[in-house]
Amino acid sequence: MHLLRLEGIEKHFGKIQALRGVDLDLNHGEALGIVGDNGAGKSTLLKIMSGVVMPDHGRIFLDGKDVHFRTPKDARARGIEMVYQDLSLCETLTVAQNVFLGREPVRRLLGVPLLDKKALYDKTQRVLEELRIKIPSIRAQVKNLSGGQRQAVAIGRAVTFKPKILILDEPTAALAVREVQKVLDLINNLKSHNIATILISHRLQDVMTVTDRVVVMYEGKKVAERKTRDLKLEELINLISQSKSAVRGDGSE
Amino acid sequence: MSKFFALIRSRYSGILLEPTRVFYLAISLALLIVFTVFSLANPRFFTASNLLNVLRQASPTLISAVAMTIVITLSGIDLSIGSLLAVVAVLSAMALGAGWNALLVVVAVLIIGSGMGAVNGFFAAYQKIPAFIVTLATLSVYRGLALLLTHGYSLPIPPNSPFIFIGRGWVLGVPVPVWIALAVVIIGYIVFYKTPFGLYVTGIGSNEEAVRRAGVNVKRVKFWAYVLSGSLTAIAGMIVAARVAAGSSYIGVGFELTVIASVIVGGTNLFGGEGRMLGTVIGTLLLALISNGLVMIHVSAFYQQVVEGVILLLAIWFNKGASLLGNNKG
Repeated sequence: MHLLRLEGIEKHFGKIQALRGVDLDLNHGEALGIVGDNGAGKSTLLKIMSGVVMPDHGRIFLDGKDVHFRTPKDARARGIEMVYQDLSLCETLTVAQNVFLGREPVRRLLGVPLLDKKALYDKTQRVLEELRIKIPSIRAQVKNLSGGQRQAVAIGRAVTFKPKILILDEPTAALAVREVQKVLDLINNLKSHNIATILISHRLQDVMTVTDRVVVMYEGKKVAERKTRDLKLEELINLISQSKSAVRGDGSE
Repeated sequence: MSKFFALIRSRYSGILLEPTRVFYLAISLALLIVFTVFSLANPRFFTASNLLNVLRQASPTLISAVAMTIVITLSGIDLSIGSLLAVVAVLSAMALGAGWNALLVVVAVLIIGSGMGAVNGFFAAYQKIPAFIVTLATLSVYRGLALLLTHGYSLPIPPNSPFIFIGRGWVLGVPVPVWIALAVVIIGYIVFYKTPFGLYVTGIGSNEEAVRRAGVNVKRVKFWAYVLSGSLTAIAGMIVAARVAAGSSYIGVGFELTVIASVIVGGTNLFGGEGRMLGTVIGTLLLALISNGLVMIHVSAFYQQVVEGVILLLAIWFNKGASLLGNNKG
């Protein structure tokens, strides 16, 4: 049984048809890449999976059960976590404060909730070690971190929600070259924690490196689907750039 | 300016120029200079009685500044506190004049002050109107209320009322307002640094959307910050009224500027995300010492406002420079 299954997902915004009936499967522990040109509908699809946007038509199955996400909270409660492209971190808070923002450990003194800093830093240390994330100091403010370190903090934060599925929106887009590999290693690492990942990226070589399967989208449709190990980079580029003909021609996989 | 800081940063990067440390070094230096200059100019400046007097006069400012630190850190502002202070002073005088029990007055005025803060909070947090506009409007409304209540007169507080003790009393050789301010600072420090509320305040000032996505009720946090500003300013207002034994509708004009300047001089980022509670204490004292010192060397009172405005401007300027120092991206 598939971990996540989308069937005939459609969505339009006003006159613009963003998604025209998309089917998608995600297996347990799998890393799935979604690629496509701008306006292909990748981000709408991802917003539907994370509960930010509700589809007009189509169904979502999680572990075979029909589910409806009205808010990101619904999706989170079902084990779907999302790392936004803007990372949603507070620059002036520390690494640990960001990782557990909204869920910081407290102890009560005369009924007043006080932050339990030791517990917070211990917990954060454990989480980052488990994921083999190296940050100079978990007491450092996020504004003093590099782009790759910030990405790692955001992923670390997402993992603390113990998701079954982690959706990553362009995780390597804003990174220095030497940092990309570290983030890719981290994404690879998630598999050993039995977390399935969905990676949306323009950086095709990254998609080729970490995913098991790639889905190509064009104008709101899925136009191709390949196992990554059967795929060459040139072929993927062709699939994306020639997807126009693919829409008309062999829409099959 | 930014090039200058970039140069310093590249030359002396590392722990020595950690922004918080630089800041406390700079402000301590400023305090030292102020002490030295005024002490040399007038030997009566550096005496226990004068310094206690400065503390007593700075207490209402400091009390409101504790709340203002929180409000500014979450990217808000409260311009209404000067007017709110007048309403509170006037209501206290009216109630005491009508023979109310002093304790009852204190409680009632605290509730009313919180209520006026809640009005700011309702519009700024729940109706998403910029706090600057909301509190500019209530600045006018509350001042108008104070004028309406008094018809422009000053209402005396009976000098034998126990209420007077709040502003003029002494305990263990220290004025009562100073004790109150000390208690407020300690509580403010704990709330700001040790509670989830304080953490969310900083987070909201840094990235409100991120805090909201983390499941925090952002609006409620903002709302309570303005309520806090109202209630603490109510305390400040009672102290002022008790000190002068009167409630005047003209009390507290420009109070908001003094408070905001104290907070900014204290190193809190005007644009939110980073507040310094101890900096606020030092900033308040620094400004109070300067204005006291100017009086003692017989500088015209008319210069006071000029000096305060200039210091505020310089502080914001320096603040921007300091954040450039602390930012890796420069």
